Amino acid sequence: MELLLIPFVFALVAMIIPQKAVRGYALIGALVSVVAGVVHAVNYVPSAEYLSIVKACTTMEGGLPFFLNYGYDGIGLTMVLLTNVIVFLILLSNYDNQSIAASKKFVALVFFMQFALLGVFLSLDGLLFYIFWELSLIPVFLIFLWFGAKGKRRALMKFFIYTFIGSLAMLFSLIYIRSYAPSFSIEDLVAAQLTTVSALWVFGGFFIAFAVKIPLFPFHTWQPETYTKSPMAGTMLLGALMLKMALFGMIRWMIPLAPEALHCMTEIIVVLGGLGVIYAAILAIKQNDMKTVFAYASISHVGLIAAGIIVLSLDALTGAMVQIVNHSFVAVGLFLAADIIDRRLGHRNLLELGGIAQQAPKFAFWFAVIIFAGVSVPLTSGFIGEFLLIKGIYGYNWIYGVLIGTTLILACVYSFRAYQLSMFGPSKGFEFPDLTWAEWLSFFIVTIVVVFLGVYPQFLIDMVEPGLQKLIEIVNVK
Amino acid sequence: MSVEQLLPLVLLLPLIGGFINGVFGNKLPKVVVGSLATLLVAGSFFIALSIFFQLDKAVEVKLFSIISLPDLTLNAKLLADNLSIWMTLIITGIGSLIHLFSMGYMSHDPGYRKFFTYLNLFIFSMLILVLGSNYFMLFFGWEGVGICSYLLIGFHYADEQKGFLNGIAARKAFIMNRVGDLGLLIGLFLLLMQFGTLEYSEIAAIVTAEDFVNPTWMMFGITMCLFIGATGKSAQIPLFTWLPDAMAGPTPVSALIHAATMVTAGIFLTVRSNYLFELAPDTQKVMLYIGLATSLVAAFIAMRQNDIKKVLAYSTVSQLGLLFVALGLGAYTAAMFHVTTHAFFKALLFLGSGSVIHAMSDEQDIRKMGGLKKYIPVTHWTFLIGTLAITGFPLLSGFYSKDEILGYAFAENIPLYLILMFSVLLTAIYMFRMYFLVFHGEFRGSEHQKHHLHESPANMTVPLIILAILSVFGGVLNLPGLFLHDQAHYMTHLYEHNVAGMNLIHMEHLPSNTIMVLMGVAVVSCLAVLAISYQVYVKKKSLPKEDAQLTGWEKVSANKLYFDEIYNALFVKPIEWLSEKGYRFFEIVFLNGIVFGVAKGFETAGEVVKKWESGRVNWYVLWMVSGIVGLIIYYLVKF
Repeated sequence: MELLLIPFVFALVAMIIPQKAVRGYALIGALVSVVAGVVHAVNYVPSAEYLSIVKACTTMEGGLPFFLNYGYDGIGLTMVLLTNVIVFLILLSNYDNQSIAASKKFVALVFFMQFALLGVFLSLDGLLFYIFWELSLIPVFLIFLWFGAKGKRRALMKFFIYTFIGSLAMLFSLIYIRSYAPSFSIEDLVAAQLTTVSALWVFGGFFIAFAVKIPLFPFHTWQPETYTKSPMAGTMLLGALMLKMALFGMIRWMIPLAPEALHCMTEIIVVLGGLGVIYAAILAIKQNDMKTVFAYASISHVGLIAAGIIVLSLDALTGAMVQIVNHSFVAVGLFLAADIIDRRLGHRNLLELGGIAQQAPKFAFWFAVIIFAGVSVPLTSGFIGEFLLIKGIYGYNWIYGVLIGTTLILACVYSFRAYQLSMFGPSKGFEFPDLTWAEWLSFFIVTIVVVFLGVYPQFLIDMVEPGLQKLIEIVNVK
Repeated sequence: MSVEQLLPLVLLLPLIGGFINGVFGNKLPKVVVGSLATLLVAGSFFIALSIFFQLDKAVEVKLFSIISLPDLTLNAKLLADNLSIWMTLIITGIGSLIHLFSMGYMSHDPGYRKFFTYLNLFIFSMLILVLGSNYFMLFFGWEGVGICSYLLIGFHYADEQKGFLNGIAARKAFIMNRVGDLGLLIGLFLLLMQFGTLEYSEIAAIVTAEDFVNPTWMMFGITMCLFIGATGKSAQIPLFTWLPDAMAGPTPVSALIHAATMVTAGIFLTVRSNYLFELAPDTQKVMLYIGLATSLVAAFIAMRQNDIKKVLAYSTVSQLGLLFVALGLGAYTAAMFHVTTHAFFKALLFLGSGSVIHAMSDEQDIRKMGGLKKYIPVTHWTFLIGTLAITGFPLLSGFYSKDEILGYAFAENIPLYLILMFSVLLTAIYMFRMYFLVFHGEFRGSEHQKHHLHESPANMTVPLIILAILSVFGGVLNLPGLFLHDQAHYMTHLYEHNVAGMNLIHMEHLPSNTIMVLMGVAVVSCLAVLAISYQVYVKKKSLPKEDAQLTGWEKVSANKLYFDEIYNALFVKPIEWLSEKGYRFFEIVFLNGIVFGVAKGFETAGEVVKKWESGRVNWYVLWMVSGIVGLIIYYLVKF
């Protein structure tokens, strides 16, 4: 329970602490959550059953039974740990960005966001899941509104309409499947017997919500604009954590609730995911705003994860979990790099950049490491993730496997273009101070995690495997 | 110590070197950085040597398991057999000489420490590639080599004039390699589907079992995928254009890439998978002809290149083509033999060219050199030995290894032999052209350059001398009857001893008088080219024409057969077009158009609906009644 309470309390207290202490307070608050997460992880024995942390039944007005039902399996715990570490990284990497990091509003919103995310990952009750899902929109919306760049209103509108329609569809699905089950608890919902048609309705509603959030091609058009106009912390929250809610939702809710729909939906999702992988990668090649390049790169990567999840082979699912973690860290690294350039020069236009490596060798080195992790070279977790994902998709249909595999090549094209245009060449005559300690530490942590999981992914695999096995079992039984 | 204990050490030493120099390099003096990197690689060499002498049967050492799922186990595991240790000896042996050379060559470079860090990591990646016991480890090293080459080719990225182009060359190398890597990756998936494992020993056991039924198409697919991977790393058509561009890196890097590491990876992969290729004769055919074509094309392009390093680069591509001909013929040992001798003389030539460039104050154009033999005698003599070795001059190492491949080609069919012989002839022509233009005649550079001409320091000439000795005597490694009795070939014996699959391959040896005749042809043609080149370039003092004056085949050769232009038009431009137009029209106009269209639609609908809310009761009643009537009609029709 403390997992949820810590960020909530820190979010409330943030409003009353003295201005000078805000930045330190933020880091300490995030660290406490990380420690709490680690304690849970250390004590956790991987199993397929949910480890319940709270289960209380209350009755809402009008007699509707309502469960406070939280718990996790290995998958959920991985997501909790991921959220806590990434939130810490987001606060740390923003440490030198005075206008944001020293703002009480910002710190409170980030903690509130963390609270909502943890709620999503810990809920074992459909309605709770939905509530936290919606709750997470508020802080992101406000961060965007208060700290966003010029031209944010249009992007904000688009983002809001998209996600809101998605969420509504999911709500309908939940209410619909509830009519087949005695309660909203996950066990009851999974046990519900659906006909193929009703399964399609349930599946479809979830799918719209998740397809928008991930985002899958062609539901992605809100994403590049939102990412670009959002402040860096917002982009990181969106890219590293919020979209993971949808991928997690696929594994935890969409597939086990309505596996009857899989036989007609698998192909569609694999194709959409695959199209997104290639389409976004190609579009990224000629973008000149560094952040837009990485935004499209993100679409490309998550398309692969979604396609991998839906083929439901153990390899691909494991790969998806590894890649979810990897993508979060790499996204933080990439957007941090783009923001470091933005902070120092006031723009991110690749055509006007160049020669930074000479002036800031430390930055050049760490940025290069993140770029390599982004194109999934061996010894980084991206390689393990993509290897397993592509293997799984290849096993599903080899043509899709080969086509999606071209991401290996395309990713190099846009990543190295962005890197070389900004870093290589002779100096262009602007000053570029090297990394501060907070920036350095952020890159360092990202690298350590990515390399550790790239060399010894078994640590993560052991944690998530029972849960994934159970998922496959549920689908097979139905 | 036993092999099991020594083997991880071979791998670990360069990694330690890279780590120490990478993290603490800035606090250490240059001499320490360079010596540390060099000594650790040399240390790996001597450990490998001691393994080589005590190795009897293949030894596997499991480090840890990377991925372990119910039906997928991928281990970090090392394998020592004569093939992997032989490769290790080449990599670390030549590698340490190149390190030593770099200590002199890079001494004025501000990126000295970074350079040695990368070199160590390069060696480390290559060692993972050859020492791993399965295709997964191979792939780790395979990509690792790609990254290190990217870093090293683009090493001078901040250069005022060429910095950005160096970066482009590095990127091209990495991306082209990735195309090959995708092929290899798919090959890995196919192997997993067919055999359920990626361990060499397990696959070999399945394939070589008595009752194994050859799934022809599957084997063709697997081997073709592996071969596509090999075309990337080993620079074969169609993926060879990165290798000449990779000359953008500092010269020792070129030597490392071309002689000891990287390009040999594809050869190693094929030899390692010999039992698979033996089951796919169609792939062998493809390999044969691709190799032949590459050999010819590269030799043709090399004829009219004027950059000393570019000539050597194309000669490497040409030699690699020759190697793939050998592999296509199933002559794996002959290929490994030539890889070995090629490593000696190509490292020698590249380091020699580095010494020339060093002396010439970074000039690489052979039109501006000439008469260098009296200024830099050690470089001159060693370079001459390298040139003679690569052209197949009698009794030098290249003579034996090349002749062995030519012999197998002759046994296959005569036209093949003739074409290959032609390519060998071209090699001799362009190599002697370069040699005479650089070292003989009048000096054609600027006064400034002439003033600075000097022989390189000892840490650069010593590696040259060692490599020259190896290039002279390297040919004895696979001579019949040497080291062994009964006319046995030393390397053949070595590989048959404990390398999976190799003992099942028996090559027909030509009758000895045919061999003599072939050798005679080779000797005569080499000497003839030498004599003619001497006449043309020394006696008549003919010089290369300026680019603008070139016509006919010379122009085509100088422009590299327009491969880059063709690729640009076929791949680069269309993708860029798609990226731009896709963004402008599909993404912005079409997809966004739909979204805003929907929004607009709701707005319009709102306007319409607003009118219904008119507040007039009679309209409401009309709507209500028509609704009821509609429902009644619906249910009447339905039931």
